[in-house]
Amino acid sequence: MGGGMTQARTRLEQRLEVLAEVIQSFAASLDLRETLRHAIATFIEYMDAEAASIFLLEKEETELVCQQCAGPVDIAGLRIPAHQGIVGKTVREQRCQMVRDVQKEAAFMAAVDADTGFVTRSILCAPLTVRGQHIGALELINKKSGDGLFDSEDEHILIALAAAAALAIHNARIAEALVEQERMRKELELVREVQVNLLPRIAEGALPVVAVNFPAREVSGDFYDYFALPDGRIHFNLADVSGKGMNTALWMAKTGGLLRCLAKTTPDLSALVAKVNDEICETASHGMFVTLVAGALDPRDDTLTLVNAGHLPVLYRSRTGEFREIEAQGPPVGVLPGAEFPIARLALDGGSLYLYTDGVTEALDEEGRALETAGLMALIKRYAGLNPRARLEELVGAVRRMGQKQRDDITLMLVDRRVGAAMANPLLEMRFRSDPADLKEVRQRVREAVVRSGCGGELADSLVLAVNEACMNVMQHAYRGDCSGEIILEILNNGRELEFEVRDFAAPVDIGSIKPRALDEVRPGGLGTHFIQTIMDDWVYGHLPAECGNYLKMKKKIG
Amino acid sequence: MSYRVRDDSGYAVVELTGEVDLSCSPEARSAILSCLKDTRNVLVDLSRVTYIDSSGVASLVEGYQTAKKKKLKFGLVGVSGAALNVLKLARLDKVFPIHDTVAARVKADG
Repeated sequence: MGGGMTQARTRLEQRLEVLAEVIQSFAASLDLRETLRHAIATFIEYMDAEAASIFLLEKEETELVCQQCAGPVDIAGLRIPAHQGIVGKTVREQRCQMVRDVQKEAAFMAAVDADTGFVTRSILCAPLTVRGQHIGALELINKKSGDGLFDSEDEHILIALAAAAALAIHNARIAEALVEQERMRKELELVREVQVNLLPRIAEGALPVVAVNFPAREVSGDFYDYFALPDGRIHFNLADVSGKGMNTALWMAKTGGLLRCLAKTTPDLSALVAKVNDEICETASHGMFVTLVAGALDPRDDTLTLVNAGHLPVLYRSRTGEFREIEAQGPPVGVLPGAEFPIARLALDGGSLYLYTDGVTEALDEEGRALETAGLMALIKRYAGLNPRARLEELVGAVRRMGQKQRDDITLMLVDRRVGAAMANPLLEMRFRSDPADLKEVRQRVREAVVRSGCGGELADSLVLAVNEACMNVMQHAYRGDCSGEIILEILNNGRELEFEVRDFAAPVDIGSIKPRALDEVRPGGLGTHFIQTIMDDWVYGHLPAECGNYLKMKKKIG
Repeated sequence: MSYRVRDDSGYAVVELTGEVDLSCSPEARSAILSCLKDTRNVLVDLSRVTYIDSSGVASLVEGYQTAKKKKLKFGLVGVSGAALNVLKLARLDKVFPIHDTVAARVKADG
């Protein structure tokens, strides 16, 4: 008797050791296949089984698929309906099944044996469950030793193994999903970078057009472009590609490229859009289309020509405040080969033209009401007094602040002869990286600009110092040492004072934290804002509209 | 900016030349601090400095404070007009011992 007990304990101890080892290897592995392969080999050996397999639920839990197996017959990849067999029963009832005579078990699928030539005598099958969610089952077939039947001790150990295996599978799946997510995120970032580079990069004010694009996700299906044509007119376009995601982004790039390329050789807008339409129709996948507005402004006589291809109405607001809607006259691009796109004509005549995508008019307020065209008109009226850039920024800011999270890409373009007028004769407009190595050139150009406006000697020195400090603050505190950020510096001379504006596109900084420090205390740092305060007559920090960056405006009286 | 360190009358004289701004002030700072670390008295020669910004001034302040803590001598010599204006703006012209030359400083030390 005593000998029997010792033997039993030894076997139990052995099994517990195996259990500990398997659980440990599960905990260490994040590779699903490797984990399962290792587990199965261990199970079969130490549970003394003839065969073992792991089935996982797939296809929305309608099928059980054998992921790994060991034994005389390879059933890896075997698919069975989720409700069938002992495995199915285990998953369905969520409890361990022990079958000591398969011939008497109704759920037993004799067909598998018949197909494989394997003879199943007994089965032990445990469910795989994570947080109450069924993911599959772990099955052992035919005990090799003794009477060939599994007993309740085997059952207890298998239940423990199954719990550990389920957790390991769950962890490995999460790890895989995270890796995939990270890969997608990186790709989307790249796509966004390419997209941003596709948007026009003309010094603001050079053409009477301003526009912004805020994608709802990383990748935008909207785009806009504007550029001067060889005949002196200014071409502009704005479009919305159907759908979302990467595919949309590629079509956006293609359509934008076609428009830019063909516009320079096809002066007639109607012919231009027809050509783009035919090209897209030929190559587009089913169901893809683009709504777009293409236009041209002739600065010599202020005439506008427009083609609206299935897009939202273009809004024109005259200088006396009347609105006119220019509705779509042609179908969206990419739908109908050979379609015609009639031209609408009007005079800009001191008014403004607004092009936008549905992310603007379909923005929802807190009660779920959409802005609609009427709401956009009301906003345009509210901000009509502002210069075009400020107006555009206020409009987009208002739309983005409406209440609900942005669902769609927001793109807005404004054609207005006053673009750049507010910046009449900027003394200096420069863009540079948030790299301290660029400061030397910035100082050089600021010095030239202020000397041109009649400031010399110590005044010029101190203005250069103040602007340098402002740029340094941006590099150190807004971009936090990241040298790849963009900084825009503008200097205007309005006759009475010089206005300096430094803009960045970093995360909004805490404006309350920017103040000159007391000088009583001798310590390094914090002097920059003191210099600005001492040198300039007035200065103010703020956030750019829609929280897209920060600005610092400084003024100094001259003359 | 460039710098060199020379020995003169018991001082390590750190000569800064050119524009001392954010792109190079860390270099100036470490030149000053490493002399102090070697327990040498330090004078910073600003006669060839054509521009200095707040980060450059901060390096001088840090040198001044470190020297004080270590009971070493520290000062500025030959401060150029451009540098002096910035020191005045920071109201540090009365904080740092400033002399025209190393010899003047040595004489003042007694």
